[in-house]
Amino acid sequence: MPKWENRCKIALSGVGFSKVTRSADLPLAVHALTAVKGAIADSGLKMEDIDGLSTYPELPATGHAEVDGISVVSVNCMMAMLKLPNLTWHMQVGSNNIGGAVQQAANALLAGVCRYAVVWRAMHNPKGTYQNLPGAQAAGATQFTGPFGFGGPGQHMAVAYTRYLERHHQSRDKMVTLALVQREHAQHNPHAFFYGTPLTREDYFNSRMVAYPFCLYDCDIPVQGAVAVVLTTAERARDLKPKPAYLASYGQRLYFEVAGRIGSLADYMEGGASSAKLTWERSGFSPQDVDVAQIYDGFSASVIYGLESYGFCKQGEALDFIQGGRIALDGELPLNTFGGSLGTGRIHGLWHIIEGALQASGRAGSRQVKDVNVSFVGASAPIVTGTTFIFTREPY
Amino acid sequence: MSDWSKVTRPVPVANEWTRPFWEAARRGSLELQRCQSCGSFQHPPYATCVKCISVDLKFEPVRGVGSIYAYTIMYHTGDKRFAPAVPYASIIVELDDAPGALMAGNLLGAPFTEAKVGRRVEVLFEKLNDDITLPQFKLSNSPAG
Repeated sequence: MPKWENRCKIALSGVGFSKVTRSADLPLAVHALTAVKGAIADSGLKMEDIDGLSTYPELPATGHAEVDGISVVSVNCMMAMLKLPNLTWHMQVGSNNIGGAVQQAANALLAGVCRYAVVWRAMHNPKGTYQNLPGAQAAGATQFTGPFGFGGPGQHMAVAYTRYLERHHQSRDKMVTLALVQREHAQHNPHAFFYGTPLTREDYFNSRMVAYPFCLYDCDIPVQGAVAVVLTTAERARDLKPKPAYLASYGQRLYFEVAGRIGSLADYMEGGASSAKLTWERSGFSPQDVDVAQIYDGFSASVIYGLESYGFCKQGEALDFIQGGRIALDGELPLNTFGGSLGTGRIHGLWHIIEGALQASGRAGSRQVKDVNVSFVGASAPIVTGTTFIFTREPY
Repeated sequence: MSDWSKVTRPVPVANEWTRPFWEAARRGSLELQRCQSCGSFQHPPYATCVKCISVDLKFEPVRGVGSIYAYTIMYHTGDKRFAPAVPYASIIVELDDAPGALMAGNLLGAPFTEAKVGRRVEVLFEKLNDDITLPQFKLSNSPAG
């Protein structure tokens, strides 16, 4: 296959974080602004340099209103706050979650319609129950799920997980390793919600069941917070303050899901495989070349589906693959080295993208994996919103 | 066994695609959308055949027997309407007559611990009101598909 012409033409430069809190004490717009300003400052840029904006403004909690600035932060809201004098491009995406927004920004930079793009993901934690079933009536796709007590994505993924476990003769007990390793990694990430809060094996097995096979620690905790990045061309990134992470390739889920169909393991596997295939082909790498991986973990099983559908191990083997120190910081495939969503709180996949870039550029501090050349990111659950990325230390 | 007597279920709202399904269920018949071109069944109903893109789709009766494809046991009581039933089994069923078409339901009339992948089930009908009857499932002795 000929070399993809856009390989390493784009780089991720600055990163920014707001404080991650359990309750929504500050308006979400303030969190987003803090993260965006942080990313711009990290790059050593000024407001007038920023000419591109992109996000995925969505509240994944069902049954709550989306209010701009309060529960989502749209491009319009950010434009109003920043008043960028030199803005030339903005776009908010409606599919592929925040990975789609990052890819749109990369595409815009490649097209030359902006020079320095900022992408943010702001997540709100509403008061009351996070996931609500439909009200008295179940319309649309929920008419076939809501009446039976299927609420949010956790239950949807839980059914695919029972299918997975029983078809592959696997045990949910093995997932404790993922929970413990990721929480350990979060102890190296001062921005993480669970920084300073270790987790024990007993905590995991004594925790309450939420939707079997998921216990409390298989689910990321809803939080209020935002993260942001600066993307630019590789050429420009070299002149900025931080060492750039080169975006070798990216891909998106091509497999479609029928609305309202839940429980299909194939929907996860085919979705992840279709995105990864583009990413491997465009980069010229294969899973064996990867030095460190970030794989979206809103629910723990998402990592298992990711590891298998992206090609890191065979189907049915991921729960064994993660054992024996393989995914630790000094392991063969360090995984979710920033703690994952299970460690940081529910901020969705932009944080996975950030960590993939920080590991590639050698900026991951005490959790830096040695000798990283190829850094892989699966930025959403592989099913509906899957996007995948590869960052490298150097262009090639 | 889960106590469903105090649960008020959200009531399905039929639309253009799904009305025949609910009208059949009201008559005590399980009918799924079938492609008249390639012959495959699908559920939930869709605008096109998800296998061959044909728009020639009709609802046809199926025998309501099949196997549990997947399940979850719900413990979370976030939605208070379902709290009296926890823990309860929400299941995904693949019918013998409609491979690939996955139907959601609850496992009724049995302890939630009976929900296992591959367990045989058959349809029963739970009337919600004069318009809507839910196809639900109970354990079955029927031989595998």
